[in-house]
Amino acid sequence: MAKPTFEQKLGRVGWLFVAPGLAFFALFSIYPILNALATSFFAKKLLSLKPPRFLGFDNYARVLTSPEFWNSVGATLIFAAGSFVPLVVLSLGFSAFISTRTRGRRALQLVLYSPAVLSSVVAALIWMLMFDPRGLANQFVNFLAQTPGTDRHWLSDAGMVQLATIIVYVWKYIGYFTILFITGIGKIPVSSYEAATIDGAGKWVQFWRITLPLLRPTTILVSIMAMLQCLKTFSTQYLFTQGGAPSDSINVITLGIYNTAMRDLNIGLASTMSILLFAFMMALTVIQMKTTKSGDTDE
Amino acid sequence: MKTAKRLLAGLAALLLSQGPAFAADPKIELNLWTHEDPARSVLEKKLIQEFQASNPNVTVNYVTYPSGKIKDIVVTAFAANEGPDIFNLEIQDEYPLIANGRVAPVDLKAVGAANLGALTSQYSPGILAPVTEGGKLYGLPLEVTNWAIFLNKKIFRDAGLNPEKDSPKTWEDVVTLSEKLVVRDGDIIKRRGFDFRYPYYLTQLVPMVEQMGGALTSPDGRKAIVNDEAWIKFLTFMRDFGPYGKNLGSPTYTPARNAFNGGKDIAMAESGLYQEARILAANPEFYNSGDWMVVPYPQFKSAKKKVTGNFYGHFYMVNAQKPTASQAAAWKLVAFLLSHSEDYLREVKIVQPLKKLLDSKTFKEMPYSDVFRKDLEASHSVYYAENSPKVNDLLKVAVETVMLAKVDPKQALETLKRNLQAALDDQQ
Repeated sequence: MAKPTFEQKLGRVGWLFVAPGLAFFALFSIYPILNALATSFFAKKLLSLKPPRFLGFDNYARVLTSPEFWNSVGATLIFAAGSFVPLVVLSLGFSAFISTRTRGRRALQLVLYSPAVLSSVVAALIWMLMFDPRGLANQFVNFLAQTPGTDRHWLSDAGMVQLATIIVYVWKYIGYFTILFITGIGKIPVSSYEAATIDGAGKWVQFWRITLPLLRPTTILVSIMAMLQCLKTFSTQYLFTQGGAPSDSINVITLGIYNTAMRDLNIGLASTMSILLFAFMMALTVIQMKTTKSGDTDE
Repeated sequence: MKTAKRLLAGLAALLLSQGPAFAADPKIELNLWTHEDPARSVLEKKLIQEFQASNPNVTVNYVTYPSGKIKDIVVTAFAANEGPDIFNLEIQDEYPLIANGRVAPVDLKAVGAANLGALTSQYSPGILAPVTEGGKLYGLPLEVTNWAIFLNKKIFRDAGLNPEKDSPKTWEDVVTLSEKLVVRDGDIIKRRGFDFRYPYYLTQLVPMVEQMGGALTSPDGRKAIVNDEAWIKFLTFMRDFGPYGKNLGSPTYTPARNAFNGGKDIAMAESGLYQEARILAANPEFYNSGDWMVVPYPQFKSAKKKVTGNFYGHFYMVNAQKPTASQAAAWKLVAFLLSHSEDYLREVKIVQPLKKLLDSKTFKEMPYSDVFRKDLEASHSVYYAENSPKVNDLLKVAVETVMLAKVDPKQALETLKRNLQAALDDQQ
């Protein structure tokens, strides 16, 4: 038997370091996923002491033919599309702007990042006060539009409440993704910009020809993370509906899963919805990664 | 050999001296979970100390959770077979635990009752119906609440009204008065005349439909929506009240009962007797000013029968999965706590509807307690079933779509009927 090489020994030590993380991931992520997958094939009530009844794919058929589920899918997609684009575009814009500042960089980062530190519940509660008919949102818009006394129905109109949840989400997470982009920009060699400046390229050209192409790995990371984050949204919609907002237009899939499990106590059906959401998120991530890989080959 | 004999004798003496104590007083640890209520926590912690002093083998862990979270916490704990020994929730949320055999029947011996009849006869008629199943009693009421209308007399007077004479008797009066009392800046309401308690659709709105001869389900609970005409009238009333009708209130404003405590932002709100304690805590000046009063739950002018606000209750229950000795100790503790009903009323302003309490001087001296008592005697329990939280949400959608999304009441009723029927069928 050949004596292990230094790299092989190093590899074994590496496993020791990775093992706690893997164990944690297996226990708190893989096991619940497998458990939910198994539960999705059973008629299982959360409080029932009777053994669950095997249903095969009946739960899947029920979910996929339920108008309520497809309404949730629609609400989730509208929210994800409405949040994802501004999140990525604005955080990229802010990061480019902050990276070019010589003074006040830290302060700007701090201001943008601070909402991300707040819990989602606190953030939603703060915004609910602002979206109250007598709150700041109406006052601000009415001041700009010079329409005093107009109620924009932020929390009562189906479309406005969708917009309201998007505003809260973008406000909360924009700082987080801006920091990721700033880190990515920091990795771009300064010499590239110096060479471009010598060649007479302006800031705008440098952004399009240097920053954006070299930021591609970060952009992929941010876009996948932002999309997954948007699809998992829950707290804002939950608190808004608890606070009196109509539920149909913001009844995202996660809210549907929560209601099915905790309100209807149907954990079998809720697990099915979770697995479908998981499959959708996984498929989207694979597509995003494949698309960007094929983009790399084209270049 | 001698040493061994001495050791055995010593061990036997030790066992004999300790044995009876082990057998008679096993150590019992009870976990009691309840919702946050600062005044009640003070009282219950004090009572628990007294209980522990007279039952030294029992240790009680008293844990409070926010009202909005406790239901999920209790359900999750029971789902993991780790529920507390004692807990309380609103009956709509507790009933699924009874239906699934998760809670133990009241231990009559532990609560000191000769028989079930002797225990139930201590309470107002009908109060224990929601926790009675198959001839067994599964809970004892910590608090039972019915709503009436709290009225701010100063706002009435400022609007040129006489609160004693002009207070609302009918829902139509509520609207007419609201139109006189509301203050707006354009579309935005600065002061409301009246507003509903929106999240509590089952408690608050179903009695309004019942006044007009409608019902949520058929008497056997199998058919959804009785009397379409009554429901359409009710939904039309709600649409006219909302932002796209007379614009008198909306689910998105500050909850009416909270706004009422401030003494400025709303003239009338629905709540229970406990609201008096909330007003006192939030705004003692307003409470002591005497500028508020309570009037009975209104009726529709076209009401076919008198229906007052539904009552709902928080019942103390005991986990059936705990050892028998723990269950007995738990019921003993519950009975001890609830034997102080006058303290609960005096210090927390919550009502445990024991006949002797309702006839007590303490109850009679509570401001407007007679209004609540008369309404309570004419009321029935809120709808409770395994699916009651879902039913409440279906009502929420129906009411909000007519109030906020301009959906026609007939269409909203059709959707409600279809979804409610599906929920009822699902439960069968």
